[in-house]
Amino acid sequence: MKLPIAWMRDFIDLPDGPETVAGRLASCGFAVDGIDGDVVDFDVTANRPDALSVYGLAREASAAFDQTLRAPRLAPDASGQAPLRVSIADAGCGRYALAVADVQVGPSPAWLADRLVAAGVRPINNIVDITNYVMVEMGQPMHAFDVARLAGPELHVRRARQAERLTTLDGIERTLDDAMLVIADRDRAVAVAGVMGGTSSEVSSATTRVAFESAWFLPATVRATGRRLGLKTEASARFERGADINAPVAALRRALALLTELGVGTLVGGISDVHPRAVEARVLTLRRRRLTAVLGSVLPDADVERLLSRLEFSIARSDDGWRVTVPSFRVDVSREIDLIEEVSRHWGLDRIPATFPALASVPRTSAPGVARGRLVRRTLCGAGVQEAVTFTFIDAAAAAPYLNGDAVTITNPLSEKFSVLRPSITASLYESLVYNRNRQAADVCPFETGSIFSATRGERQAVGWVLTGDRGSHWSGNAGPIAFTDTRGLAELVADALGTTITVSPADDLPWLVRGERAEVLIGARRAGWIGRLAHTTAVESPVYAGELELDALSEATAGSVRSMRSLPRFPAAVRDLSLLIDERLPAADVRGTIRSSAPSTLVAVREFDRYQGKGVPDGQVSLSIRLTFRHPDRTLTDAEVQQAVDATVDALARAHNAVLRGR
Amino acid sequence: MSDLAALRADFEQSLVQARTAADLKAVRDRFLGRKTGLVTAVLKSLGSASPDERRVLGAAVNALKSDIEIQLAAREQAADAETFVSGVDVTMPGRVPAAGRRHPLTQVRERIEDIFAGMGYQILEGPELEDDWHNFEALNMPAEHPARDMQDTLYLSSPMPADDAGRRASLLRTHTSGMQIRYMEAHRPPVRLIAPGRVYRRDNFDATHTPMFTQVEGLVVDEGISLGDLKGTLQAFADRFFEATVKTRLRPSFFPYTEPSAELDVECQGCNGRGCPLCKHTGWIEVLGCGMVHPAVFEAVGYDSERYTGFAFGVGIERLALRLYGVDDIRMFYENDLRFLEQLAP
Repeated sequence: MKLPIAWMRDFIDLPDGPETVAGRLASCGFAVDGIDGDVVDFDVTANRPDALSVYGLAREASAAFDQTLRAPRLAPDASGQAPLRVSIADAGCGRYALAVADVQVGPSPAWLADRLVAAGVRPINNIVDITNYVMVEMGQPMHAFDVARLAGPELHVRRARQAERLTTLDGIERTLDDAMLVIADRDRAVAVAGVMGGTSSEVSSATTRVAFESAWFLPATVRATGRRLGLKTEASARFERGADINAPVAALRRALALLTELGVGTLVGGISDVHPRAVEARVLTLRRRRLTAVLGSVLPDADVERLLSRLEFSIARSDDGWRVTVPSFRVDVSREIDLIEEVSRHWGLDRIPATFPALASVPRTSAPGVARGRLVRRTLCGAGVQEAVTFTFIDAAAAAPYLNGDAVTITNPLSEKFSVLRPSITASLYESLVYNRNRQAADVCPFETGSIFSATRGERQAVGWVLTGDRGSHWSGNAGPIAFTDTRGLAELVADALGTTITVSPADDLPWLVRGERAEVLIGARRAGWIGRLAHTTAVESPVYAGELELDALSEATAGSVRSMRSLPRFPAAVRDLSLLIDERLPAADVRGTIRSSAPSTLVAVREFDRYQGKGVPDGQVSLSIRLTFRHPDRTLTDAEVQQAVDATVDALARAHNAVLRGR
Repeated sequence: MSDLAALRADFEQSLVQARTAADLKAVRDRFLGRKTGLVTAVLKSLGSASPDERRVLGAAVNALKSDIEIQLAAREQAADAETFVSGVDVTMPGRVPAAGRRHPLTQVRERIEDIFAGMGYQILEGPELEDDWHNFEALNMPAEHPARDMQDTLYLSSPMPADDAGRRASLLRTHTSGMQIRYMEAHRPPVRLIAPGRVYRRDNFDATHTPMFTQVEGLVVDEGISLGDLKGTLQAFADRFFEATVKTRLRPSFFPYTEPSAELDVECQGCNGRGCPLCKHTGWIEVLGCGMVHPAVFEAVGYDSERYTGFAFGVGIERLALRLYGVDDIRMFYENDLRFLEQLAP
């Protein structure tokens, strides 16, 4: 709300300089968006329609500066009958006041036009300008009809008829419906109630008699009407938030006073005031004890009374505090806490001493996901993977490969790029990878923790990563390009950090990954994620490996964050290496399984340490080297025992897989 | 003769300062160089001296020259020996283990979490897909409440399946305040929690707005909690966050779920309150919204609003991160440019 301070001085004596006024009101809750000469742009919060006016802010200043408020000059009370009949046929209108005047339409005097311009309102002609002037000054929206262009000496407040048409003052022909409230003459709608007038009865230079409307409309009705029309105006903004139901007649009298002051018109008949039901003032209790409890500070009674009086609340002392009558323009004040806010706002939040709340009971524990998230992030950072944070929503094309008809979509996305909630973190991470690749980064390995979504499985917590480039280059030797084993390694690392062990098994239902390089990650029999090489990575020339794990699936498999220790071995281990020639299509997991099932319990570790194809290895075969570690808990194993176990293992491998020891 | 003493002192100083083989070579050139060497120059000047002078000075210069030769040779030999004895060139760059870094938004979030954890707060997490009750209704924003306009909401095309309470998530949460409700519905006071998380608005996408951002919600409820407690808590937070005693102020504001409501400003750290572009020349930077929990919120979760009072606050992580790291475009946090992320260790 742009407020010319000189205009405010009509109603209150203020210190010099707009900055002083701006600063003081800012500390009372009216943030200042800017100061331009004498005009201060106040950010009035949505709950304070009463402050969307010069007089309303003058009232605030009256409390802030402890100065007397002077009321605007009004025309004499002329209640009676306007020569135009008014009827209200809908509860969406709580009051309708009307005055008819004979007028000479022309330009406004400079002082008035200048004030409107300063307040951000475009001057049109003296009559329309008077209605706008009253709205800016008192906060009450008004409208002027050209009486000669109305059908019949009558106005009706009613619902629009279905498909009724009206061209509004902005020149747009609008189709109305019966959820909207209109002002109509005998034949048709002439204005959208509380939103905008129509061109058919617009005041023009030919106008000689006008009807000034000053009414009160139900906020929900105006909001619904405005929303259906996609139309927001200065008037509708005030009605939506709640206008003062007692303001309409005073606003009319203010307009008539301006008409007289400018010498451009005279009242015809009296002022009609139609209100279906009387509104009683709210009376609230403000307890001294409660005020102190909420603020943590004792405020002197005299200050409480002074501040509320300045804000035009009526107060009467009671045993434990005050009985406070709320003025009708304060639609935001409906209970005791609202009064406490009023007092604290003007007393000054800065004057309330800072204290620290006592911790009277044991703090409760945090959600397990917090520590888990930290552990996962630190583990991956420690492994050389960079944390990223990407948008949770992605475009439909990026999401499509991951989806199985179970997308969670946004009905009103900012753009198509942000229309689907990501089914996988890797979908949005891939975008980051491409972004960095396009900026000359060769090795790009980001990860992210966060939510993933599907319509069937809901929102889940996950960690995902995408990897491309080299494992690291150094003058002493290159570690080679990132491969499947790297993404698998990260899955193992994360699982281990969370205290669980994964198995990996080929899977054909992961269409976003390349065939032959895709696998599900299992904990027991339950799928906890996937790893593999991304398909459709045309934007990047090197292969992109990726993986994702669902964190709940991992942590549910873990007993707790504390692990108990196993005794360290007391006797030495015997280590034997086997180099086996096996069919190249035989999974290492099968070989390991055969070894595990055939070896004695003294076999404590099986580790693949080389996999080789090429010179010396027949076509279609692979040389797989495995290190077997044997140990007995209670004694040192003899060579013979170890050899026996190895022989048994080799025999079993030969039987099960036709495996042959290399070099034999 | 005093010139020779100065020359000797100069040489000894240069030798001490020489670190590398290249340094030693420079010292050799400077003193013994065939054309411009300082000692060489003195020897050449002997030709114009008288025979007596030549004899005395000549002996001294030659002694100096031979001292320099011996000392230099010793250092050069030592340097050679160190460099080549094992074939290791210690001046080559080291093999630094690869290390990822936490994203700056994570760093700020964990910093905030740690500060409040240290003050006895529990840290909670909640869903990003939220239902109308938890995001609006229970927070004193019934349908048609004007405050709903303040937060342009992203809605799901179709609601998610109903939860245990029969509620169906229908929107992306516009704030983390729904966690207040979720927690209070399930627990009795005292409450002392923070809830960090991503939130969503159908907002512009520019240097100061993104449609997704991160908040930390805070809530304290007990008997006797006052606005003074809110002030003291936020002052402690600001001091610890900025690692200084920072000047703060509370400006009255409006949120439907708190009353009185306020915004906390801290004095601009860039200009110490004098005014600069960072603080738009106001000397203050808006840090968070806060207030005393509205009794209507307590009533919505079945707390006795006469017995209990409380305060709540919501910190914007991006806004703090912008200040902390001197970033001027919020979108940088979501571009994940490695050149940006790698700067902001650890």
